[in-house]
Amino acid sequence: MMRGPIKWLIVNVIAWIVGVLWIMPFVGIFMTSIRPFKEIVHGWWVFEEFHPTFSKYFEALFHPSYPLWRGLINSFIIVIPSTIIPLILAALAAYAFARFSFPIKNYLFLTMLFMMTVPQQMMIIPIFFMLHNMKLLNTYLGLILVHSSWGIPWITFFLRNYFTMLPTELEEAALVDGASYRQIFWRIVFPVALPGIVSAAVLQFAWVWNDFFFALMLIYDPKRMVATQILPLLKGQYHIDWGLLSAGSVMVMTVPVMVYALLHRYYVKGFTAWAIKK
Amino acid sequence: MGAMRLEKLSFLLPALLLIFIMVIYPILATILLSFNIDIVVGAKVSDKPPSLENYFKAFSSKELLNWKGVETGTFPMGALIHNALWVAIHLPITTMLGLLLAVLLQNVKGASIIRSLIFLGMVVPMIVGGLLIAFSFDKDIGIVNFLLNTLGLKMFVKTWTTYPDTALFALILGSVWLWTGFSVVTYSAGLASIPKEIIEAALIDGAKFRTILFKIIIPLLKPVTVAVVAMTIIWDLKIFDIVYVATRGGPGGASMVLSILMWDYFARVTDYTMSATIATILTFIILPIAIIWVKLVMRGR
Amino acid sequence: MLVSVVLENIRKIFPPNVVALDNISLEIGSSEFFVTLGPSGSGKTTLLRIIAGLERPTKGRVIIGDKVVVDAEKRIFVEPGERNIGMVFQNWALYPHMSVYDNIAFPLRIKKLPKQEIDRRVKEVAEALGIRELLNRKPSQISGGQQQRVAVARALVKQPDVLLLDEPFSNLDARIRVTAREFVREIQKTLGITTILVTHDQADAFAVGDRIMVLRDGEIQQVGTARQLYDEPVNLFVANFIGNPPMNIIKLIPAHPVIKALNLEDIVPKDDSLVYLGIRPDEAIATVEIDNAHIVGKTRIIEYVGARKYVKVEVEHGFSIKVLAGENVTENQKVGVLVRKVHVFNSKGARIESIVY
Repeated sequence: MMRGPIKWLIVNVIAWIVGVLWIMPFVGIFMTSIRPFKEIVHGWWVFEEFHPTFSKYFEALFHPSYPLWRGLINSFIIVIPSTIIPLILAALAAYAFARFSFPIKNYLFLTMLFMMTVPQQMMIIPIFFMLHNMKLLNTYLGLILVHSSWGIPWITFFLRNYFTMLPTELEEAALVDGASYRQIFWRIVFPVALPGIVSAAVLQFAWVWNDFFFALMLIYDPKRMVATQILPLLKGQYHIDWGLLSAGSVMVMTVPVMVYALLHRYYVKGFTAWAIKK
Repeated sequence: MGAMRLEKLSFLLPALLLIFIMVIYPILATILLSFNIDIVVGAKVSDKPPSLENYFKAFSSKELLNWKGVETGTFPMGALIHNALWVAIHLPITTMLGLLLAVLLQNVKGASIIRSLIFLGMVVPMIVGGLLIAFSFDKDIGIVNFLLNTLGLKMFVKTWTTYPDTALFALILGSVWLWTGFSVVTYSAGLASIPKEIIEAALIDGAKFRTILFKIIIPLLKPVTVAVVAMTIIWDLKIFDIVYVATRGGPGGASMVLSILMWDYFARVTDYTMSATIATILTFIILPIAIIWVKLVMRGR
Repeated sequence: MLVSVVLENIRKIFPPNVVALDNISLEIGSSEFFVTLGPSGSGKTTLLRIIAGLERPTKGRVIIGDKVVVDAEKRIFVEPGERNIGMVFQNWALYPHMSVYDNIAFPLRIKKLPKQEIDRRVKEVAEALGIRELLNRKPSQISGGQQQRVAVARALVKQPDVLLLDEPFSNLDARIRVTAREFVREIQKTLGITTILVTHDQADAFAVGDRIMVLRDGEIQQVGTARQLYDEPVNLFVANFIGNPPMNIIKLIPAHPVIKALNLEDIVPKDDSLVYLGIRPDEAIATVEIDNAHIVGKTRIIEYVGARKYVKVEVEHGFSIKVLAGENVTENQKVGVLVRKVHVFNSKGARIESIVY
């Protein structure tokens, strides 16, 4: 659709300007995290003096009341099981939806779809009391359970779509070879469907890491708080230490950004699977 | 034969069990709680008799609907109005911007990098997103105010998030910046699935860019648009983290949204049945959009 | 083990009311190489899948050896994995993430055979099929013909009673097809394993089958040896389907002069409005000698099929037929056609008689 090299140039320039402008806030927060406040009092884009320092990072990590190092470790403790558990359970269920026929299958699937649209606020109150009753409130296990359950509907939906696109011949060959459905699933389907499974894992990982609400509602002990919970606590009541907050923000967002950078393909494939039906 | 059935069951059972206990049951319990009916196992959440009182209370509360504010056009106007405003502003901008950018990037060198940059807002935690918004709208070190200053719009320079008349708008505009990455990437994928030959045929027929955009591209992208719109509306209604960290719903409730209101009733006021009521109201507002989205998904089967 | 396969009154209906198979009964002898031949939609693959257990029949039963593996009325169903069958799928269905060795070993590992036994058998089968050197490779690293051999190896390694092949040659280049066919036939004869092959290509069927069944729209047209199908087709469909180039089918009224020219007046039914004559291109020849010919006509286009030369002849009675071209026959020439064999079909398409001259 490009008519003329001049138009092409203009379009490219505009596009790149848009791109650069778009990440300005990120650049800003990074700058604020490494520059002493007196240098950026009139804006982080002012470069009269430039003496970068990582002191704010240490301050955030080893904050006296809300150390971020503990928050980051807690986040990992929560995220990893909260990714693996729902992935396995949902993959099995997704396979059943894709290959088996059973009564109320469609109603069940419909229910799962609706659950994906419901806000977290809708199930948290009874969960809060249930966990309290099971003495799982304010524990890692409690939060992991909640995240795992919450992840199952969407992962099942996602993987079911993926599985239905795999040709059935491989599974039929395995059936003729005498394999049980369990064996077929783990030895044939899982390895072959790995790209889809990695996509789901990447998205679930990012989602749990980024979560704030469940942690806010279910974890009180500062020793067990996750990284996203710690951040708002670093925001002072009266005076906001932007250097501290920026450093904390950069550290907390590094993990999902790294995952995105390294597994970019799977991330995007997962996201667009929501909207585009192949 | 029985062994096969049992095996097939074992595929479904663990997942279904977990969902029923931890998702479906709590959702139902919340709905009932909004009517003061307590079916929560092992806990006494409500000992009031079943009634609609919570709903009356909610809809007459000015946290939910502040008619005075609506009439005079000043904030706060109530969480319901705030969420509605959010959708009204955020949705059209992010959808059209996303489509335009996706089209713009079709012939740009390094388009995938630019897309990644725009998409970054979707990758970070929304807590960080909220902080970035508060940061950008800060009077002294926020780039928004810097831009306003350089454009000569000095009357708008202030820390937006601390003033009732601008707090909500700061959040909404910030959410456009965060969420447009989704529509850009989704529309880009959609555009890639349109066969090039169709566009080429239109060009040969002498159609201009604007005609091609409106008469061919947009109609062909309708399912994508429905999906983007549905997901955006749902996201706008569910929004929590951003508001929590940037304004906490303030100042004076000027940026209160439904999810924050729900949390407020739960954590600060400890009125659990009211909290459940707000959550239920929120869910039922989402319901029609959810139905449209589910229909779209089911149609593809 | 040498087993027979018996099908009794197999009927398969797909919802809402698509009849894929209608009352199929047949008996396949032990060690027989049986071919099911038919165009797409004839139900041949459905039949194979029913025998394998990948589909269930609506009615009827299948008996492998002395075991009933499925009985729709009595609700008996033996899982595919328990029927001791080997199957080669149309697209091979090799497990892409496993090596050739692991692919072949898979059924044995499922059966939990000891490691040494597995190793021995895999290598034995690989040797027999000439793919020993490929054992370490992945399916994506070998050619189509080799992939097929691996698929066959996997099917045979568990020493099944019956071997099923679903259009095994359709994915191969024409060149390799010929060798593949020979290879499969040799294996079958050596092992003596009861084999059922499904194909739409009559050349495949002729090359390998002891007996061939022609299916059309779920119904059996004819079962017989290749020779029987070729020489004594039971109806027009079979007659036309078998043979390359296809048989010339001529639609005539009983009183047509050509009938007289071929001395068929007594054979053709008088009360029928129509009759069909079938003449295979290989069973008639156009020559420059017109006097002794049955039919006279003018040549149009010369065509070569393999080493043989055919010519299309426009007969003076208003139809054209493709026949062998005799010596000195060229285009646009007046010729006489000498018919060696003709098949007579009634108006419903059933064969009445075949006359040899």
